[in-house]
Amino acid sequence: MGKILLEVNNLKLYFKTKKGPVQAVDNVSFTLEEGKTLAIVGESGCGKTSLTKAILRLLPRNIMEYSGEILFEGVDLMKYSDEQFRKEIRWKKIAMVPQAAMNSLNPVMRIEDQITEPLFIHNRDMTKEEAVKRACEVFQIVGLPLDFMRRYPFELSGGMRQRATIAMALVTNPKLVLLDEPSSALDLLTQANLMNVLKKIKKEFGTTFIMITHDIGTASELADEVAVMYAGEMVEKCHAEYFYTDARHPYSRKLMSSVPTLREDKELVFIPGQPPSLINPPSGCRFADRCDQRFAKCSQPPEAVELEHGQQVKCWLYTEGSEVKKHA
Amino acid sequence: MPNLAVELQQTPGEQETPVLKVENLHTWFEIRRMGFFKAGDVRALDGVSFELYQGETVSIVGESGCGKSTLAKTILGLHRPTKGVMYFEGKDMSEFTKEDLKAYRANVGYVQQDPYGALPPFMTVRRILEEPLIINGVKDKAKRDKRIKAVLEEVKLAPVEDFLPKFPHMLSGGQQQRLVIARAMILEPKMLVADEPVSMLDASVRVEILQLLRRLQKKHNLAIIYITHDLSTVRYFSERIFTMYGAKIIEKSTTESLLDNPLHPYTQALFKATSDPDAENLKTYKEVPTGEPPSLMNPPKGCRFHPRCSKMIKGKCDQFEPPEFQVNGEQLVSCWLYEEKK
Repeated sequence: MGKILLEVNNLKLYFKTKKGPVQAVDNVSFTLEEGKTLAIVGESGCGKTSLTKAILRLLPRNIMEYSGEILFEGVDLMKYSDEQFRKEIRWKKIAMVPQAAMNSLNPVMRIEDQITEPLFIHNRDMTKEEAVKRACEVFQIVGLPLDFMRRYPFELSGGMRQRATIAMALVTNPKLVLLDEPSSALDLLTQANLMNVLKKIKKEFGTTFIMITHDIGTASELADEVAVMYAGEMVEKCHAEYFYTDARHPYSRKLMSSVPTLREDKELVFIPGQPPSLINPPSGCRFADRCDQRFAKCSQPPEAVELEHGQQVKCWLYTEGSEVKKHA
Repeated sequence: MPNLAVELQQTPGEQETPVLKVENLHTWFEIRRMGFFKAGDVRALDGVSFELYQGETVSIVGESGCGKSTLAKTILGLHRPTKGVMYFEGKDMSEFTKEDLKAYRANVGYVQQDPYGALPPFMTVRRILEEPLIINGVKDKAKRDKRIKAVLEEVKLAPVEDFLPKFPHMLSGGQQQRLVIARAMILEPKMLVADEPVSMLDASVRVEILQLLRRLQKKHNLAIIYITHDLSTVRYFSERIFTMYGAKIIEKSTTESLLDNPLHPYTQALFKATSDPDAENLKTYKEVPTGEPPSLMNPPKGCRFHPRCSKMIKGKCDQFEPPEFQVNGEQLVSCWLYEEKK
């Protein structure tokens, strides 16, 4: 067991809407060791992105409830004021590569100016030369030619822009980087290239990543641990080794069997029905309506259970004393 | 299912006319400077030939900018080919009159990539499906209603009555894509062109949509052109696979033999870059060819993949364009590596 970098306990993020509270993130708890990568997978609208926003406190105005504990290196970040959080945490210790990152660069600023900006904000005394030197370092890490520094975003291809946003996240040498769908908008070869870059960064600098994705195949390139989210809850978390072959939650199993594979011929199945609305989610297990293994107990909310390989599963099938366990 | 294509290929051409036959198709877009002076052409399609038979799916894979979508649009008649001939059921399409073209368009359905963008937001489901029928002269309202209901049931948007008055934004992504498929199917076409039909959808819905297309194909003996960049879905959905690179088809093969043994170095690279969920992936780096796809305004001389290819033969690949070589009986590959095996 390595040192625990991030521990999230009972994190809740509810949004206020006219129709009622949207429970985007509901009682999510997990821990992440330093130097490891956690991949969070799930359908769209299951709260993956809201979870990263909640960790980095990039919140919209219509917040109804934002509570729980986020322990980063043992310190509870929820106790920080917004200003303190901005100065000490955001981009200094935790950085993010946003969704559709290739379009999130400022089109009227040169790449160099954008990459060095976080350095100046967090260290007023830094000289331009020092900042550019550091920017050159990260440029080399992500594998971009240095003469691209003075260019504008439109002069770069999609894959290069994506790397530039990763360079921007790495420039302050953060401990934790949140990647929100880092490769979904890219071509196959560019995607593979990017995963190589991320793998290299992980290996050489021991950076911890949380990677949000719906592409389980790509997730397996980087993930040490995989967490599955469904309707705002984290229903399963386990080591990558076991997840792809032996997922436990009925939803994870279905999700895995809906992934088409190139090398292996298997029967593909899909999950009938739709995820529940997050405005008034079912009071019991949220997957019960679509689950073919449901039984009477599923109308009550399940607790997370820990199984033999350290998998944490929120499902009544695995609760102590449950008679169904033997059949499963 | 995979044997279907083999059978089709073995049946001599005299017996069955292909639904669509494309010969040496070129679609070039002119680039003008200052609105007047011609600066060159973007050769989005540069010599593409193939045949498509009733009841089979042909997948076209390739990266963005390789000309996949231009091919789809040229086939749909949205772009006029610069050079080359297309035959629909044996008839030369360049000689089509306006009425012929209208009839052709009714025979070819189009499934777009982004369902929400492809559906008019101000029309109800009923109106969206009714319009093609009105345009194509179905004057009897009861007849139209009957057809709309039949097609909605076919794509499993049931109960039909609930869906008819809905607007596209009230449907989920998967339902929107079903509606797009229903619209493509409403005139009972012979051929479907599906341009990345599932790339905008969630993994769990993807399979559902592909299986739906497959079912429709079986029932109506449709020919489908399936355009995708995702190699992992083609196994489940096609009889033949064409790989495109730099505006050309570089490899044509049946699905089975391509998956067993990809021949062109570019197809091999695509294969290696696709990750299946496997914990072993964590330990290895991927082999990826360096560089970027070629500019289509002035493509490299010789084989278009040669600047990125690790097996490049000097003096050959960078000088002469490779013709199609036949390997193992059924695979056609444009690569000099397979010259001797001819």
